Amino acid sequence: MINISINGKKIGLEGPATVLEAARRHGIDIPTLCNHPALELWGGCRMCVVEIEKMPRLQTSCTVMAADGMTVYTETPRVVAARKSVLEFLLINHPLQCPTCDKAGVCKLQDLTVKYGAVAGRFEEGKRTFPESVDDPLIVRNMERCIMCTRCVRMCDNVQGAFAIGVVNKGTRSHVEPFSGGRYNCEYCGNCLNVCPVGAIMSRLHRYTYRPWQMDKTVKTICSFCGVGCTQLLEVRSGAIQKVSPVFGEGVNKGLLCGRGIFGYGYVGSPERLKTPLIRKNGVLEPAEWDEALALAERKMLEIKNLHGGRAIAGVAGGRCTNEENYVFQKLLRAGFGSNNIDSVARLGLMHAQNLLEDIFGQGAAANLISGIPRSDAVITVACDPTQTNPVMGLQVRAAARAGKKVLTVGHAHGLRRHRTHSLPAHIGTEGMALAGLLSELLKIKKLPGENPEFEAAIKNFELPRLEEVETYTGVSAAMLSGAASALKDVSSSSIIAGRELAAHRDARRNLMLLAAIGYILNSRFFLISEHPNEQGLIDMGCAPDTLPGARPIALQTFRERYEEAWGVKLDPEPGLSLMEMFEQAGDTVRAMYIMGENPAFNLPGRKMVKSALGKLDFLVVQDIFMSETAAMADVVFPSLAWSEKEGTYTNLEKRIQKLEKAIEKNPEKKVFLMEDWQILMEIGKRAGLNMPYTASSDIIDELARLSPLHAGLGYGDLAETGMMWPYKGKPLRMGGRIPALPVSRAEAPSKEQALAPVLVLDKPLFHSGTLSRHAGPLLDIMAEAEAKLSPETGSVLEVTDGAMISISTAEGEMALKVKFEKGLPVGAIFAGNNFGEAGALGLFGYELEPESKTPILRFANLEIKLETGKL
Amino acid sequence: MKSEKSQREKTFSPGALTRLEEIKKKYPDKRAALMPALYIAQDEFGWLRPEALKAVAQYLELPEMTVRSTATFYSIYKHEQAGRNMVRLCTNVSCMVLGASTLKGTLKTLYGLAPGGTSPDGRFQLEIGECIGACDRGPAMLVNDDLHTELDTKKLIQVLESYK
Repeated sequence: MINISINGKKIGLEGPATVLEAARRHGIDIPTLCNHPALELWGGCRMCVVEIEKMPRLQTSCTVMAADGMTVYTETPRVVAARKSVLEFLLINHPLQCPTCDKAGVCKLQDLTVKYGAVAGRFEEGKRTFPESVDDPLIVRNMERCIMCTRCVRMCDNVQGAFAIGVVNKGTRSHVEPFSGGRYNCEYCGNCLNVCPVGAIMSRLHRYTYRPWQMDKTVKTICSFCGVGCTQLLEVRSGAIQKVSPVFGEGVNKGLLCGRGIFGYGYVGSPERLKTPLIRKNGVLEPAEWDEALALAERKMLEIKNLHGGRAIAGVAGGRCTNEENYVFQKLLRAGFGSNNIDSVARLGLMHAQNLLEDIFGQGAAANLISGIPRSDAVITVACDPTQTNPVMGLQVRAAARAGKKVLTVGHAHGLRRHRTHSLPAHIGTEGMALAGLLSELLKIKKLPGENPEFEAAIKNFELPRLEEVETYTGVSAAMLSGAASALKDVSSSSIIAGRELAAHRDARRNLMLLAAIGYILNSRFFLISEHPNEQGLIDMGCAPDTLPGARPIALQTFRERYEEAWGVKLDPEPGLSLMEMFEQAGDTVRAMYIMGENPAFNLPGRKMVKSALGKLDFLVVQDIFMSETAAMADVVFPSLAWSEKEGTYTNLEKRIQKLEKAIEKNPEKKVFLMEDWQILMEIGKRAGLNMPYTASSDIIDELARLSPLHAGLGYGDLAETGMMWPYKGKPLRMGGRIPALPVSRAEAPSKEQALAPVLVLDKPLFHSGTLSRHAGPLLDIMAEAEAKLSPETGSVLEVTDGAMISISTAEGEMALKVKFEKGLPVGAIFAGNNFGEAGALGLFGYELEPESKTPILRFANLEIKLETGKL
Repeated sequence: MKSEKSQREKTFSPGALTRLEEIKKKYPDKRAALMPALYIAQDEFGWLRPEALKAVAQYLELPEMTVRSTATFYSIYKHEQAGRNMVRLCTNVSCMVLGASTLKGTLKTLYGLAPGGTSPDGRFQLEIGECIGACDRGPAMLVNDDLHTELDTKKLIQVLESYK
């Protein structure tokens, strides 16, 4: 125990703390400017000086560690005089623009000047001047206001790891700017403007539009872009989101957000939002009354059910919809329409990867805390770039690197190029083979832990390829493999982050077995990339052809009966069709579809097939907030609500259930009447005679908690601040240990031509996310059009230049894309994202089904790249 | 496929790369090699223009911004376009008497060099210097670190033509 006294108050500290932390923990405020809890100690601004007995000079309390017996005074006349002079120095240059500065009201410098009293300036020369930089579409820099606390730079370098901004020049000319001096070339995490204590770095999105104290309300909710589930604060005025910011220290993100999270909210207020239900009349979608549309949807679905049976109906649940909505969705499909043909985007890899891991380690194998990543001795990323798909999880990997931990990337991970200690740059799609090489090297130098004899027997029986074979196939040399393995030799705990491409692979089972084996040897926690905010919830809510809510098989009679009893209907024990099969069989065995918050006509491979499948249906119902490609083909379209307009829960990739809070009331005077997705489903269900007595999403959680063993006893009230971690409140099935003796397949090495042939890779850009972000203006400002990203080396092989328009064609389709050179991308690979209407790269990909799980594996054939003529 | 040769960015010459390798050997920490590397880049690129900073960043595998922050902190580097060769012409009493002002005119008319300025081709930069201690052999000038004395128009041109 460290005993100190601050202003006469006796304080006992359990562990090491700075004087500042000790004071704040005990309610004594010491003013600071450059100090920030997310950043390392700095001691630059001198505002936090205090008097410490026996120390002749004033001390910066933010850097001095509390020592036993210390006596501290924080507001003596000497301290106050020092702070006043610090302020006087700052105000020599800081312009007095408070009346026009957006920061006024939440400005630390303003508050401190008010507290310590303004002084008449004694400095006769003029203030330093910098023209305000509005070169960037999102971030405005006013360097006259900068007080050189360097919080933004430290945030950018040491937390975000982007190294995009820095202090330029020195003395009175010093200021902060990006390399270009104008526009940013960065990750647009927005964390620099979140930490700026004054109005020097600010968002342009809401510039001059309001005063901080004019907000109607601030609402803490969960971000709707990816599976990390970051806590964000929405500031709302006049029924519109004005600003999104993180809350320091709170949520899984602990006060960090990514570009999508902070700048991507604009789609909510888009004028293109659907406002009324639509019904197709004479081939045209026309606005209709809710009653008419609901009745039509219910009547047609039941007609098809009666005519062709329940199996003729299929449903796609939504990865952006809440747990409650997805629960009601599968209930409507199963109990109302008699169909198990329910699937979702979790089919694209997450579900299979998770199932394979759970086969070995038991349910919840990938339920781990993101905050544990930097604490483990090593982090291994496989076939993913978490800094793009799950950016805030990516920051944890960077934090691990900063803490001196080993970071190994297997496959392509551009965002970690500066942070990894080791790399196995396997060709795209061959990451599994590189894992085989790593495993065989690890087995040479590391003992098996002896915890799971059965699994160890299986590992010993793996037929691992020779290192030369690994090299021919993956391009990873034996030296790299042994280097990586020896770096991992003394690791006592590790984290493994795996992308869904590992499971959307012909050798999915091999890949995951190898991953599991490496994880087993290295005492790993597993994390699976989750691209949608509620992808995990889709799995938990039984939005799969073979499982019920609680993620247990519908084939299990005891389990099925539980639901049959509660829902009052007999359920089909046969598993239904998987995602791609539904479309393949459309017009044949599948006659009608219900799609909630998904856009399969754009977001699935085999786009031509999917589109023609949708056209063959007798009846298609779509719930969406925009007129998506899929909605445009529907017979009935229901407008729904966005994440900020509803309540409910998301389950993140840690398997943590978190609560959304309604920030915007969409129906204030019933001018537009919009319903949440579950309400629409309930209205149809009630018309179909289902028992759906829900008045709020909490009622749905209650029903779920009664039925799903996984969620047994879970109450809405339990989901307070931090949400509810796995296993929620219920009992997970520990059904691990199903380890088939699996020979690890030796893939044939590709021919030299094959190895050098350009490959098309589906990019997951940091600034976009599926089709929602097309409607978010600021994200379009950062990245306005579809790009084909490739390394300059690839460019010279293909003979294309940076900025050229190229046309890429495959057997599936053709599209024009602008070339963007990015150093460090794998040679031969062309990265194209699926984010822009005309140029959604999934339109170039066909697929084949992984036989076991029916996960679609992206395929492309007859790739040709041409320079677009006349567009250069 | 139509060939459209990409314009190569300027990078270090083989000679500069050899010097950089030497520096790298001396400093195991890449950041420590930054300042000497900046001098080499300055020689190579004329001044620390953005391409020079980028080339250093790429060579030392440091973030570009880190390189720029460090470079701009020091005023000893050339941060603005400067002539490749610095001409310091003395115009103090001895040299002036011996005809330095004629030479000044020659520099203006033949090379477009005004005091404090740079020739349009970037080859020379002119500074009117104070005494360089060669009063017995005036008019005198320094080109970079080389002393040239007893100049007249003909010799001036001769000397300058040996600097490219």
